Amino acid sequence: MSFKLRISVAVIAVSAALPVYAQSVTITTAGGDYGKAMQEAMWAPAAKELGYDVREETQSDGFAALKMQVTSGAVTTDIIHLGSPEGAQAAAQSLLEPLDGNIIDLNAVPAGARSDYCYPFDSYGTVMSWNTKTYGTNPPKTWAEFWDVGKFPGRRALRSNAQDLIEIALLSDGVAPADVYSVLSTPEGLQRAIKRLEAIKPSVAVWWTSGAQSAQLLKDAEADLVVTWNGRAQTVKADGGMVDYSFKGSVIGTDCLAVPKGAPNKEAAMKLIAAMTQPARVAKLTDFIAYGPVNPAAYKAGLIPDERLKTLATAPENAGTSVFSNPDWWLKNGEAAQKAFDEMMSR
Amino acid sequence: MDPALAADARRERRFFLSLSLPALVIVGSAAILPILWIVRQSFLTTAGEYSVGNYEKVLSSGLTWSALLTTLELSIGTLAVCMLLGLPLALALASARPRVANLLMAFIMLPLWTSILVRTYGWLVLLRRDGLVNAVLTGSGLTTEPLPLVYNFTGTLIGMVHYMLPLFVLPVYAAMRDIDPNLTRAAASMGAGLGLAIRTVILPLSAGGIVSGSMIVFIYTLGFFITPAVLGGGKVNPISIRIERTLSTFQDWGAASVLGLLLLVLLALVGVTFWAARLLLTQNKLGVAHA
Repeated sequence: MSFKLRISVAVIAVSAALPVYAQSVTITTAGGDYGKAMQEAMWAPAAKELGYDVREETQSDGFAALKMQVTSGAVTTDIIHLGSPEGAQAAAQSLLEPLDGNIIDLNAVPAGARSDYCYPFDSYGTVMSWNTKTYGTNPPKTWAEFWDVGKFPGRRALRSNAQDLIEIALLSDGVAPADVYSVLSTPEGLQRAIKRLEAIKPSVAVWWTSGAQSAQLLKDAEADLVVTWNGRAQTVKADGGMVDYSFKGSVIGTDCLAVPKGAPNKEAAMKLIAAMTQPARVAKLTDFIAYGPVNPAAYKAGLIPDERLKTLATAPENAGTSVFSNPDWWLKNGEAAQKAFDEMMSR
Repeated sequence: MDPALAADARRERRFFLSLSLPALVIVGSAAILPILWIVRQSFLTTAGEYSVGNYEKVLSSGLTWSALLTTLELSIGTLAVCMLLGLPLALALASARPRVANLLMAFIMLPLWTSILVRTYGWLVLLRRDGLVNAVLTGSGLTTEPLPLVYNFTGTLIGMVHYMLPLFVLPVYAAMRDIDPNLTRAAASMGAGLGLAIRTVILPLSAGGIVSGSMIVFIYTLGFFITPAVLGGGKVNPISIRIERTLSTFQDWGAASVLGLLLLVLLALVGVTFWAARLLLTQNKLGVAHA
């Protein structure tokens, strides 16, 4: 091969390897059905609109991945998907860039959910679900009844984590939804919740560690009463499982999107967050998974079919008896609560 | 020695040492450096300062000690069941005809080549409330209620024994196979029954293999994570799960590093104990052979 020819071959090879320049952004999601839903409804159409080249990474534990990347100085992701309590914690540990209010409309979400670091986009309820074969049309209707193992015998499955459970424990003890965090903020409040959990411990067959596991326990009838996330219960029910669930007394949490400190494409990340959380897109998310929008605008203008509203934790008719999970309380007391929970488990 | 010869020997030694260099580099960078990093991490507070705070926190927590206790219970339990099942199995293998022994060996090795995740979830399917085992038990009327076989200590132990049994049987079988069959014949000719022959001839002569097998079981099981995580139902929490929880729920790398080092110390202690036991046994065995 002549020298000239060799050069031209090399030039062709190089230009073929370099695509036309496009802003690239990396997003880290939880993967699975949830990650796929976010892709289809939210970031893929937004990326198309902005002309971005978006790459997805998946992590079941977003916070641990975030902390690893930021503390080791090797940040590869531009957008990370977190639970709001983790978002608050990450912000407190300076792991996140402040969101740019000029790009993202931070005030589009209700005041209680607002955050300067992690933009809440969807919500889920931690709900009571049960096996319809065991309880027929007479399942426990309140958390107090869930705790009543005499009246409702059966194997329980609860998440092996204090989050949402200590709120539920207080509800079962007669605390009103509006008072849960004020009771928890007293010195005896946390102990009262832990004691309540300890009381039900002998009837807990499984302490589950992942949402998928809780769905499997429901599906296999390994447990009769399962505290799980509404999206999981709904999926099992829709698949024809002998399962039902109720939003009564649910604990509502939100998931959010953040930009890690030192992300390589900060500004593009902010723009993508703004575009992927437009009301029509977060409304579209409910086509794929039963996690409702946080932005009230998404509920207007008939973006979500009425039939589906029943399956969303934040739909107006479901939110009445619920407790909104409080990220600030968890930021301040999370470690103490988890420790007390673990100590209860080891007793 | 002739100086030229001595120099030769030195050169040779150096050459052989240099051959092990690549291995040393790999072990150094893949094992020792990360451990040193963990040691450093264990002294770092969340604020980034050096202190012994993590040690105080971990060692004064009841959770650490209950996790250690669970770890030891699982290891000792697994070892006990492995001995109960593995010793007769190894004995049967060693006394079987080679063709039968090879076939049995294949059955024993088969699980060893299957992924631990597949095996663990396999047990979940077999042992759960309406799983195969409970279906047979209740279907045949042996029990009226399904037994709690999984999501507890029992289920975890079953999964761990299933994993460890081949690794226990292999060294024991090797030791038993090497025993001169004439020795058991001699014992029989002097009137020893099977039980006495096993107790006085076979077990002492295969003690080295038994100690090796036990050491493998103990050391492996100290760090088991997947099996208790899947089959324990959140109720069986050994130190490996404590480490994971410290990282994921508490994001406390310092405390997790201390727990990791604690596990390392435990491993070293167990290793030294078994090594000493082996040493004592070999000396004793020589004495027996000369008597």
